[in-house]
Amino acid sequence: MKKYKADIIVTLKKGVRDPQGAAVDTVLKRTGIQEIAQVQTGKFFTLDVTGSDETNAKAKLDTICREVLSNPVLESYKVERFVEL
Amino acid sequence: MKAGIIVFPGTNCDIDTEKACKYFGWETEFIWHDDTELNKYDIIFLPGGFSYGDYIRAGRLAKFSPAVMSLKDYVKTKRGFLVGICNGFQILCETKLLPGILSTNTNTKFICEEVELEVNHDGFPKSVKFAIAHGEGRYIADEQTLQGIQAKNMIFLRYKNNPNGSVLDIAGLYDKENRIIGMMPHPERGVFSETGNIDGKYFFEMLNKALTKETVAAT
Repeated sequence: MKKYKADIIVTLKKGVRDPQGAAVDTVLKRTGIQEIAQVQTGKFFTLDVTGSDETNAKAKLDTICREVLSNPVLESYKVERFVEL
Repeated sequence: MKAGIIVFPGTNCDIDTEKACKYFGWETEFIWHDDTELNKYDIIFLPGGFSYGDYIRAGRLAKFSPAVMSLKDYVKTKRGFLVGICNGFQILCETKLLPGILSTNTNTKFICEEVELEVNHDGFPKSVKFAIAHGEGRYIADEQTLQGIQAKNMIFLRYKNNPNGSVLDIAGLYDKENRIIGMMPHPERGVFSETGNIDGKYFFEMLNKALTKETVAAT
């Protein structure tokens, strides 16, 4: 059994309004730091996943991302890092 | 008539719901989220609150609790009514028992106020006032889902002055075929005159009528 460490970022899908991102954008504009920053908020997760090989562990990670960490109706996820421990 | 109220760590509207059920003379029990024996209930409530701290997103972790997983069978066998209020509505959407999803309010604020609602149900006043209290109540669904919702006449409640940015002003859905109701407003907070609002009674009366008819038919 091999063990891997993965970093996952979950963000709202394109076209889904991100009110928290918009609020940060407004603050940046108001303070004059940056005119339009296109801020997008999201969530970061880091976790260990085991598997017989890389393909198996990645498939498991995919299920975790789809079923637990994100909701495909409005969110998408991206595996930022996947390394063997 | 037997009502069950599912309680998660973080649920906080369970006692309000119990009091409302008892007011209508229903035998009422709390169901711990680990329980899977749901068939003895004629109606099951998923009450408001912050199940599992609403970690990851509202209703997300509750969907994996044994009680919620058993709800699918409860619905499939058409045993009784399933009502999700506030966090309960979020859980119903997360489990896909109702279509769409609830996301952060457009104004990013937790909104706690009384709102006017337009009701789409026979035997119910056309307009009522219910309390809302949520940070993630903006109903979202894709075009295809919305068409399905409208074709099945599932929109039960609409906001008159949309407070959270919900698409089509949707505040509540009613899947009549599977007898599932999900709504962001809190009818259980409008049963006793002490709360300054008794419009919630209409909702419980509606359920009472539907369930009584059934009990009579069964005997």
